[in-house]
Amino acid sequence: MIDNRAKAFINMFAVLGTVTRLCELDKEAQALIADSNISIGFAVKNGPSGTLRFNNGKASIERGASDCTIRLPFGSCERFNGMVDGTVTPFPSKGFTKIGFLMKRFTKLTDILTKYLRPEPEALDDEDFFRISTTLMFHVIIEAIAQIGNEDAVGRQSASYIDDGIAKLSIGSDVSAGLKAENHRLTAIHEEPDSFTSYMTFADMKLARQLFDGKVNAVACVGTGLLRIGGLVPQVDNISRILDRVALYLA
Amino acid sequence: MHKIYEYPKSREYFARAAAVIPSGIYGHQGPAEGCYIPVEAFPLFSERAEGTYFWDVDGNRFIDYMCAYGPNVLGYNDPDVDAAAAAQRKKGDCVTAPSTKMIEFAELLVDTVASADWAFFAKNGNDVTTLSIMAARAYTRRKKIVFFKGYYHGVSPWTQKIDYPGIIEEDVANNIYIPWNDVSAFEQAIAENPGQIAAVISQPYMHGNFKDNELPAESFWKKIRKLCTDNGIVLVIDDVRAGFRLDLAGSDHYYGFEADLICFCKAIANGYNVSALCGKDFLKSTVSGMTYTGSYWLSAVPFAAGIACITKMRELDLPRLLLEKGLKLKEGLIAAGKKHGFDLHVSGEPALFYLRIADDDTLMLHQEWIAECVKRGVFFTNHHNHFLNYALSDGDIAETVSIADEAFAVVANRRG
Repeated sequence: MIDNRAKAFINMFAVLGTVTRLCELDKEAQALIADSNISIGFAVKNGPSGTLRFNNGKASIERGASDCTIRLPFGSCERFNGMVDGTVTPFPSKGFTKIGFLMKRFTKLTDILTKYLRPEPEALDDEDFFRISTTLMFHVIIEAIAQIGNEDAVGRQSASYIDDGIAKLSIGSDVSAGLKAENHRLTAIHEEPDSFTSYMTFADMKLARQLFDGKVNAVACVGTGLLRIGGLVPQVDNISRILDRVALYLA
Repeated sequence: MHKIYEYPKSREYFARAAAVIPSGIYGHQGPAEGCYIPVEAFPLFSERAEGTYFWDVDGNRFIDYMCAYGPNVLGYNDPDVDAAAAAQRKKGDCVTAPSTKMIEFAELLVDTVASADWAFFAKNGNDVTTLSIMAARAYTRRKKIVFFKGYYHGVSPWTQKIDYPGIIEEDVANNIYIPWNDVSAFEQAIAENPGQIAAVISQPYMHGNFKDNELPAESFWKKIRKLCTDNGIVLVIDDVRAGFRLDLAGSDHYYGFEADLICFCKAIANGYNVSALCGKDFLKSTVSGMTYTGSYWLSAVPFAAGIACITKMRELDLPRLLLEKGLKLKEGLIAAGKKHGFDLHVSGEPALFYLRIADDDTLMLHQEWIAECVKRGVFFTNHHNHFLNYALSDGDIAETVSIADEAFAVVANRRG
């Protein structure tokens, strides 16, 4: 069962949060924010609040929506999720003069993101597109795992079995990230962690893609050596259980 | 220097298996749940087994400290057990009317196991742990079950966690989880669920994975027993893993208390497939009325094997022998580690020892060492308690310590 509040956290920090990496990886997205100095705050009643900040050609996301140039309030998690799904049109409570950025450039950014996260099958034949799409999906999933582990009732059960430490997740030598567990709260680290207490390494982008798309199973891949796990195995085991729920929310 | 094993045929067979079997080898004997780290260090399929050894499909011989995860207690192909099974097979095995071997086996268990007034047979440990919970619920007409964290009681939905694939909230809605050795947590659970707890189920000591195994604290079981009696809660001991290796009268007997229900499998018949739930007289009528059976549960060959196995274990006073072997091995392994600067912790009961190199909390060092042992012919695991069997000789223990020593040296050199 999907929890709308947990989904709002995923939409805020995993989906919208990935706009920041989109702007690093995609040239069109980079160009869209090249001269922008603007921030969009999303304030969700009884849910998450976060601010996407565009400054000097770089994008970042932070918690809280008090310091922003455009503020978008949402009366409920369902309304916010509706905006991400494209069924709800937000109306700003602050920053009317900047609405052009929201309507044009930001909308274009999210369109590009959707292109990568929900790709047409033939688009994946392009090597560069495939790499960017899989990398973005990897970061969405890492962040979604953290949000589900913290906000979803079943995810919290999984997180309750994760001892303190950092699990390193990587795709070959191409991309790495970490999930930090502290008192059973999870934080995503969107870069290779300096040290780690467990690891889960996908052999390559192709395998990672197949796993993300549910075409192969992680347990089966351990036997073939395409997926390597080690260290504090219960950490990655319970992360895998949360990973199972990611598909439920991002389907 | 010991030979370093390679496994080309294992890999070939695994590729074949993966094509037609989910995950190639599923469950605890597979590379994922078996924590084969790295997978290349471990054999995947066996060719044959004898005594304390198994040979893989590449012809490599292993001193086997997993004993098929417990069933091999006298040695693979024990001649006495196999002869009894063969004799029964000639007479009949799975027949419309069960063999009287079933009665003999039940009588032997009642005579051997201190808390047993009756025995009910099935096939796997999971069959009888599940029966124990159903019986407790039927008898008490209560729903809730108390578990100690770190438990393993099988794979039925009631034993699993809410986040496992295929498990729904309702499957585990009546489960209460408390820390091991925590009597006050049990008292609190009783206070918070008055008249609702049907049973507490526990292994005799905590032999959970990835952590040092933990024995019961002083008077822990005495207090739990009293709380169960005072509150009408059925005390179930899951002795599937430890049963008969600590005490032929049951691990509850070993720790000085009596269970209401006790579950056996693994060492009960030296690898022949049978499990048993034994219990107190007051639960016999309840179990008599339950609908619970299986196609092969009354097969006679495993009963004959079980009778021969328990009889031989009694004659040998096997738990005493396993304790001696375990202590000898423990001493040798710790000394080998110390020689190379490693602090090897050996926890749990010696007959079911658990290993962990304590110098690295991430277990990566430990996993490296285990892999080097396996590649040289000592089948240890990096996550699970081990098992001893009667066929393990002093020579095998010496060879094990020698290989462990070499593996420690390799890891020490690699880590500088």
